[in-house]
Amino acid sequence: MTVAGSDDWRRPPLPALLVAILLIACAEVGGASMVKFKLELTRWARSVILARPATHGLVGVRDVDEQVIDEAMVKFDAALRLFHLHAEGMGLVIIATTMTAATLVRSDGARRAVVVLLSAGGAGYPVGYLLWSALIPYYGVEAAKTIAERVIWIPFGGATIAATWWLTALVALRLARRS
Amino acid sequence: MRRPPLVVILLGLFVIALGETAGAVISQFRPQVARHAMARVAANPQVHGLAGSAEYDAEVTARAVYAVEAGLSFFHTHAQGLGPLVILVGTIGASVVPWRRARGALFALLAVGALFPLGYLAYSVAVLERGRESGIEMAERYVLTPLGSALILGLVALAALIVTGRRRGPAA
Repeated sequence: MTVAGSDDWRRPPLPALLVAILLIACAEVGGASMVKFKLELTRWARSVILARPATHGLVGVRDVDEQVIDEAMVKFDAALRLFHLHAEGMGLVIIATTMTAATLVRSDGARRAVVVLLSAGGAGYPVGYLLWSALIPYYGVEAAKTIAERVIWIPFGGATIAATWWLTALVALRLARRS
Repeated sequence: MRRPPLVVILLGLFVIALGETAGAVISQFRPQVARHAMARVAANPQVHGLAGSAEYDAEVTARAVYAVEAGLSFFHTHAQGLGPLVILVGTIGASVVPWRRARGALFALLAVGALFPLGYLAYSVAVLERGRESGIEMAERYVLTPLGSALILGLVALAALIVTGRRRGPAA
């Protein structure tokens, strides 16, 4: 830790760093798994979709059904990719923003709240893409998206957005006071 | 590690916050964004080359809407990536560059380069108002290229300053 008021960074709380590193690790594992188990994942999703024809609007006509399945599979794959991308990105965002909060936010309460919101929100949000992907074969693209939005994206994404703007405002205030 | 000036950190945070908000907007208001884009294309028939043929016009409109959505998506991803990058590179500059003026120039380049993702917002607006091809060209020439060049220049300058600092060694 450094002396308050110096121009050095303070490190964020260890749990925040741990969350960020685990998130980046999950993203890397997710990316590798998408490549390694592509065939198995595709087979699994396809079999679950075929077992739920009514959910996906399958009509028993091969040409029509294949198009519907293809669209669901594209979204299933896209959601996994988005998990990979967002988890990598949010891991870095958590590190950069919590480090900023630890260094520049003077009030203990505000600092703690910003760090908790950034860590929890940033770590939870990418999981929404994993959930969306996992639910697509069971509930269809749109219904799965609605569940992921309500359960994860809106609360966790909202927490991240609110905390980032809060932190931005606090840093802007500090800059304005200094000048 | 030393931190960069507050203004560089603020710009990095501002860009991250904009990127996160843009992601939410793209996700939650996609139909509204598409409707607005289609309305703007219809309001600017000449710049988009609409010919009055329903089939052709629908294709032109769809391509313009796709370009607008792509611009917003690029804005989201670049802002999320560039915000932390500016803070990180600023930290390296503040920690390893011993010369005050060189550090100042580096921070100025980073501060300008941090605004690069906003070029993709300009890209989306320009596509709607100037037509797809000329809008993209305009955004690239007047916004994306200058801002991106500032960032590239900043990164190259930092690398050069690190090398120079190492060569000078203890004298620096």
